[in-house]
Amino acid sequence: MSDTALEVQDLTRTYGSGDNTVAALAGIDLAFRRGTFTAVMGPSGSGKSTFLSCAAGLDRPTRGRVLVGGTDVTDWDEERRTRLRRERIGFVFQGFHLLPYLSAVENVGLPSRLAGKRVDRERVRQLLDRVGLADRAHHLPGSLSGGQQQRVAIARALLTAPDVLLADEPTGALDSATARQVLGVLRGSVADLGQTVVMVTHDPVAASYADEVVFLVDGRVAGRMAHPTADAVAGQMAHLDELVSA
Amino acid sequence: MSAAMSGLALRSLRHRPRAAVATFLAVLLGTLLIGSFATLAESSGSASGADADTLVILGAVVGGWGSVIVLFSVASTVGITTTQRATEIGLLRTIGATPRQARRLIARETGAIAVAAAVLGALLAAVGGRALFELIRSGGLVSERTEHDAGPVSVAGAALLVLLVSAVAAGVAARRATRGPAAVVARESAGEQGRMRWWRVAIALLLIGYGLAMAVLTITVTAHDTDPYAAMSTSGSSSILVGVGLAVLAPVLLRWGAGPVRLLAGTSATAHLASYNTLRRAHLLAGVLAPVVVLTSAAVGTLMLVDIDQRTLPGGTADSDTINLLNNVVVGMVSLFAAIMVVNAFVATIAHRREELHRLRLLGATPHQVRGSVVAEAGVVAVVGVVLGTLAALTTVVPFAVARHEGVVPDGGLWLAPAVVAGVVALTVGSARGAVRGAVR
Repeated sequence: MSDTALEVQDLTRTYGSGDNTVAALAGIDLAFRRGTFTAVMGPSGSGKSTFLSCAAGLDRPTRGRVLVGGTDVTDWDEERRTRLRRERIGFVFQGFHLLPYLSAVENVGLPSRLAGKRVDRERVRQLLDRVGLADRAHHLPGSLSGGQQQRVAIARALLTAPDVLLADEPTGALDSATARQVLGVLRGSVADLGQTVVMVTHDPVAASYADEVVFLVDGRVAGRMAHPTADAVAGQMAHLDELVSA
Repeated sequence: MSAAMSGLALRSLRHRPRAAVATFLAVLLGTLLIGSFATLAESSGSASGADADTLVILGAVVGGWGSVIVLFSVASTVGITTTQRATEIGLLRTIGATPRQARRLIARETGAIAVAAAVLGALLAAVGGRALFELIRSGGLVSERTEHDAGPVSVAGAALLVLLVSAVAAGVAARRATRGPAAVVARESAGEQGRMRWWRVAIALLLIGYGLAMAVLTITVTAHDTDPYAAMSTSGSSSILVGVGLAVLAPVLLRWGAGPVRLLAGTSATAHLASYNTLRRAHLLAGVLAPVVVLTSAAVGTLMLVDIDQRTLPGGTADSDTINLLNNVVVGMVSLFAAIMVVNAFVATIAHRREELHRLRLLGATPHQVRGSVVAEAGVVAVVGVVLGTLAALTTVVPFAVARHEGVVPDGGLWLAPAVVAGVVALTVGSARGAVRGAVR
């Protein structure tokens, strides 16, 4: 098993053609070690979302490679990418993305269902317990609060013990108290389960839960920060232009 | 203010042509059918005796049924498209639109489509009415002496009737959409289960009760009448009445019906998703179930009715040609509208769920699984629908078979029911397949 959960090499994604070419990603190299929590930050248009889409196999890079758990998945066809997402990547979205007609326990078990496997009820129960929702197992998303829905989504993303859990602004739709709970759950999955988490965010407080912050500007890696604090991250975000010129 | 709402309505229409097409088709075809037959009724003025009676009956029966069907289908299409815009209507209301303005927006939109469709339908009906008259005269239903004699009065009247019916349907849908406080966040949840309003249950029970009463009346009273068509006049409409009554209860019936069907569905991911969706979001799929029930009940009931009639009265009477033509027109009309509604309802619900289906893809469902779950839902709806529809059809078939001395089970034509059922299932599953193909790649 590779020590690197996710790696991108010279990852480039351009949109349009000719004079209208826009580079969302202009060749980034990043490696995420197993059992680490990394926040990817940057202003709007810095390529954060494109990075996540390419890493998850939702979008094809124009150039460069994507390696998940040491396997090069760049040239996989749609069928294999689908299986990749199902088995080796966990997703947490800003908008929760639960299936409205499935209860919490059914939503968490869904990835196994889709893979045609038996749902491990005991594991589903443990995961719901871990995110603090054991008593809400049979509620539908509509009767859960935003923070509760997001914790169900995290439990779902953890079900397959994926190589990497990708989180796209997971606290973007939550108030600060609820956001802290959700970040605590993500942090806990790294500390207790050795899960690898890559989280895109623009919130310095959220980023401070990570082991390391990677700053993207104009589709390039503009800097990194280990052991971030919210103040340090906020200060850095205010002076990203200096990082670029440096 | 009112002009502003009209402007907004027109822009909003241009933004969603698909939703407009279904309403447009329902109104157009409704006006065409009712208008064509209305010209017959108008022509009766210059006809004499038996010819005049035949023409009036043709016009009145088809016009009456046509209005019911148009009301039902316009209400259902406008209802579906309005429900889907809960978020947008909520937004309008948070930025200061009154419920009244929001209702007016919906009414104006529906109105613009309906007027255009009704005018076109009326023009076509003027031509269609003439053709229909020729057909009837060449078929010998009216004598050669009688001429087609209808001006713009009858087609315009038909157009106005359809417009009135559309306005009522839009009003009901708009009122439902703006009930309660303004809330932008349309929570995409099972909370929108859509509890049945008491009046809806009352209407359903009234229709079903009336249909059953007519069935009982057929066996106990009209079966012994000397006029062989007395039994038909009491039992003929039972299947459609009970079918429409069940259709009004569709959300509840789908929840109940989905249970047993789920047991047969197996445990694959697609079956799992489909069964929970039909169970917990029955209110969305009810828009499809309703026309499936009506289509099945009307087609099975009326076709078997005509079949029994032709078998038991081989020579027929002076009226039998007219009566059978009427029966066939009604069944054709119901089938046509119901088929449009099934297709439309699927397109609308899938468009509404595009985001959710995409979400499944992100979670690692293959396109095949996503499409499969939607088609499986259609399967559940189809099965529940044809079972309910066939039950409703029995309220016509059994009393009429008894009245014509064939016993509870008719002597022939039993293949009609499975043939209709097969057609309806194929239509339901086929339109789901077509609708989801574009949405999930």
